[in-house]
Amino acid sequence: MKIDNSLPLEYSTEENNLKILGFWIFLGAEIMLFATLFTMYFTLENRIGHGPSGAEIFEITPVLVETILLLTSSFVIGLGIHAMRLGNKKAMMVFFSITLLLGAGFLGFEIFEFVHYNHVGATLQTSAFTAALLTTLGTHGLHVTFGLFWGLAILIQIKKRGLTPETTNKSFIFSLYWHFLDVIWIFIFSFIYLKGMM
Amino acid sequence: MKELFPVKQVMGFVFSLVLTVVALLVYFTDMSFPIGMTILLVTAFIQAGLQLVVFMHAGETDDKKSIYTNVYYGLIIALVTIFGTLLILVWDM
Repeated sequence: MKIDNSLPLEYSTEENNLKILGFWIFLGAEIMLFATLFTMYFTLENRIGHGPSGAEIFEITPVLVETILLLTSSFVIGLGIHAMRLGNKKAMMVFFSITLLLGAGFLGFEIFEFVHYNHVGATLQTSAFTAALLTTLGTHGLHVTFGLFWGLAILIQIKKRGLTPETTNKSFIFSLYWHFLDVIWIFIFSFIYLKGMM
Repeated sequence: MKELFPVKQVMGFVFSLVLTVVALLVYFTDMSFPIGMTILLVTAFIQAGLQLVVFMHAGETDDKKSIYTNVYYGLIIALVTIFGTLLILVWDM
């Protein structure tokens, strides 16, 4: 394996480079997945039947807390990658741990929000609007949940094996995934919540 | 300690918080739907671009061209899917 020492560890081999490019292509497919969900939501958002509308069930406080938590976690994992490039394993693990905690906090609020929706009678079966809403939010939440386990697995590997071309490459790819989830959330925050409450 | 907090990323974070606050104006002030939507579109896309460039380091290697081509392709398909569907099913054109 040829290692190029002029580049950060996660780019140091050709295989690593290809894995990062490959993950970007996967993210391109993820953009399209969420595009179809947004399409469904925008098409059905006024079909509320006998159920509640968005303006009736959305609450600004939990949404704002979720936004700040996810935005901060995205910033912190960026710091983690920066620390990784400085070769500071301890700082990197601290930043990654904070990221996962913020992610868990986000998920906690989202679960609380879903329970609230269920409570006010907005379930998956209520109307086309609630079905589209919960499917879109749920798909994002599922991605975050998956990310928590993935991030945890990476933390364990970093702890056991240290910063190698393999572990840094995995960490960088995970950071791409995490930032991407924040990008999707920005659109959910703007075009589902804020638009719905405007 | 200071070396762990690169200026570029801290500024990126502050800027994204500012954009979030601007987006919140549509909720906290009374504005018309077209103006509100314009603000949301602008803040959301700037913020997405910020994540891509500052935090995801989209342009730092030789694969820059491939990465941007891929992202733009995904974005174009996304916009065509969303607006094409709205055009036919909702706006009835």
